Amino acid sequence: MAEPLAIPPTRSLLGLLLRVKVRSMWNRTRQAVDEAPVRLSAAVILVALIWLGLYWLFYLVFGQFRRTPLEATVAIPLVFNFFFVAMLVMLTFSNAIIAYGALFGKTESAYLLTAPLTPRDVVTLKYLESTVMASWSLILLGLPLMIALADAAERSVLSVAQRPVFYAVFIAFFLAFIPIPGALGMLLAWAAARFCPRRTIQSAAVAGGILVAGFVVWGMRSLRLGETEAEVWLRSFLARMSFIESALLPNNWVAAGIDHMIHNQLSQSLLYLGVTLANAFFISWLAVMIVSRYFDRAHDRAAAGRSGSKRPASRASGGLAGLLFFYLPPPLRLIAAKDLRTFSRDPLQWSQLVILFGLMALYLTNMPTLRVEFSGSGWFLIIPFLNLCAVSLILATFTCRFVFPLVSLEGQKLWLVGLVPTPRGHILLAKFAFAMTVTVFVAVATMALATVMLELDIVWAVIHVVVTVGICFGLCGFSVGIGARLPMFNQTNTARIANGLGGTTNLLASVALVATVLIGVGVATWRSRDLTSGRLPDAASLAICGAAVLVTVAAGLAALWIGARHFNRVEV
Amino acid sequence: MNNTDHAIALVGVTKSYGRTIAVRDLSLEVPRGKLFAFLGPNGAGKTTTIKLIVGLLRPDTGWIHVCGHEVGSNGLAAKAQLAYVPDQPFLYEKLTGREFLYFVAELYGISTRRRDSLLESLIHRLDVGEFLDQLTESYSHGMKQRVVLAAALLHEPAVLVIDEPMVGLDPRAIRVVKNLFVEHAQNGGTVFMSTHTLDIAEAVADQIGIIHRGVLIAVGTLDELRALARRQHSLEEIFLQLTEVGDG
Repeated sequence: MAEPLAIPPTRSLLGLLLRVKVRSMWNRTRQAVDEAPVRLSAAVILVALIWLGLYWLFYLVFGQFRRTPLEATVAIPLVFNFFFVAMLVMLTFSNAIIAYGALFGKTESAYLLTAPLTPRDVVTLKYLESTVMASWSLILLGLPLMIALADAAERSVLSVAQRPVFYAVFIAFFLAFIPIPGALGMLLAWAAARFCPRRTIQSAAVAGGILVAGFVVWGMRSLRLGETEAEVWLRSFLARMSFIESALLPNNWVAAGIDHMIHNQLSQSLLYLGVTLANAFFISWLAVMIVSRYFDRAHDRAAAGRSGSKRPASRASGGLAGLLFFYLPPPLRLIAAKDLRTFSRDPLQWSQLVILFGLMALYLTNMPTLRVEFSGSGWFLIIPFLNLCAVSLILATFTCRFVFPLVSLEGQKLWLVGLVPTPRGHILLAKFAFAMTVTVFVAVATMALATVMLELDIVWAVIHVVVTVGICFGLCGFSVGIGARLPMFNQTNTARIANGLGGTTNLLASVALVATVLIGVGVATWRSRDLTSGRLPDAASLAICGAAVLVTVAAGLAALWIGARHFNRVEV
Repeated sequence: MNNTDHAIALVGVTKSYGRTIAVRDLSLEVPRGKLFAFLGPNGAGKTTTIKLIVGLLRPDTGWIHVCGHEVGSNGLAAKAQLAYVPDQPFLYEKLTGREFLYFVAELYGISTRRRDSLLESLIHRLDVGEFLDQLTESYSHGMKQRVVLAAALLHEPAVLVIDEPMVGLDPRAIRVVKNLFVEHAQNGGTVFMSTHTLDIAEAVADQIGIIHRGVLIAVGTLDELRALARRQHSLEEIFLQLTEVGDG
């Protein structure tokens, strides 16, 4: 045996760690090109379409601003201020979740902690990794925003020759901004592990939910029109929002810098860029120093905190499952109860549902404060229809992300579940029953709230609730059925299952299904636009809505049948 | 006690998870050049002890030294002497086995020439050459275990800490790994191995420790354990008797 290392290495090995990450990414890309070129091409085309769509949308918005130059002078910096303050809050929360997983949840960090690496190298690597993972969508959103803004600007202000400089500075602003929420998020993750290690994820999810809910309540209160004139309201609203223009907030530096760029004031813009960059470097350095200094303690506390008896909660969820799934035969009821328990113990799942539908509920409870006179015009139907659209899309997001992987996840346990004394295809019924129960409960509650708050006619209230249940049926049928037809049995990561070929197929099918049903209901709503409140829709409108519900139920059943047929003969 | 005399020394170590005490007042010394087998029933505290030794957990009370370096205050020096193979081996799934081994070599500052010479021998002995250039995501558990063992032995650590090393290995690989451990100890290195495979522990271990409900209930050579159990039988019977006494 050679003489062991007597002196620990003092050189930074961050470069080596980064090279490994780059190599992994290169191998991943090469594998995608070699093994799934069609899927990769489809993804590139879809991203390009999203970019074009966003560009078109932003171009319309900025084009609208250009028609009223005076308002644009006030509005554009304000829009950017709002955009970046929202990004600051959302990215901080998203970074906190990703950084927690990267620092305290992954086997990689445990492996690196046993190697002769300084905690600073490990923390810096994880900081960079989580910041990139949490923020890439901002760049995706930012590029069409940047091009649209430049294209919509007056040619006299920003010539074609000046645009490359504008693009470069704009990208630099984005890159200088994202480390700030990245560092704040990592500090939050570290504090959660260090000071409340038990139920950290639950605490984070609840804290995030409260944060978002508080933000929305505050926003809605600020938006209330009251009894005042629009101009007075606008002044009052802007006065209440003035704090986001504080010189101490990073969103203001970025918004001011971009505004100077739009007006071709490069030196002032670079000044703000410098301020943003300097602060980003400082807070990144501070976060890495604090977290790495106490990283081993936080890691220890996070590892030691993952315990505790689940017996009382288990009894409660068992009792609830018995009530909810009383109609299922005992073996299937047990499988549905197991899924319910897993759902209740996975804060990623329930927190997403709570946050999305919580936001909807907050918006709905604030609807009457907008004081727009809907009755006496077709608007009294348009707003509930838009609510139905929002609820349907949220449902599609949830079923694609969390219901679709359910069957794939059974792949590892098929030795157990497959031996249940019932045809294997029936297991899908348990999955379907679980998914329907959760989605119908939250969706119908939200739609019922919407009908009450808008004082909708009973006929339209019933139509919307029945359509919502039908959409739940179709989406759950798709997610369970396609999940069984195109499973990924060798994968345990739900995000990867949802992003695979089957998951993408399910997403596209679910969006198409929702669009079909909503087009039907939309046509019925349009046909009834001249009705005043209290009048019933005609027979044709009712028939269209009925047909839409039948289509979604039939599609869900067909997907379940196809999935069950495949699942009965699948070999794992 | 002079902790530099021992490869591993634990002094009055206690570790709790909430209200559960996983390891209670554990004191243990493993001399250099010995193969130490750490036995115990499921949930006895073996993995917690191992994680404490390699610095993944911090003791609530007590001290841990590796080659004379206190793990808490001088962790970097202690880790430079260590190699750790967990029960669930970690590999970067989008790297090939060879890329991972090169990464480990660079992590420990091994020169390219030395790396190539060490790797040639390890690849041959652990029989990993056939799949070393495939992405590790395609490996079976046994293949992963062999690559991770090669990575652990690559930098010739003074102390090799392994949690359940034989799980997933075929009989030929088990024989090879056993021989590697014995050679490592004969060359002056120390092996700290947790296992449920008692016949392997009986065959290769210089010293055996038995932990039960977080308490070290026996430690010594096989003969010393036989004397303690007052039985001239196999390690399996000694283990069952001692852990039964612990229950009673």
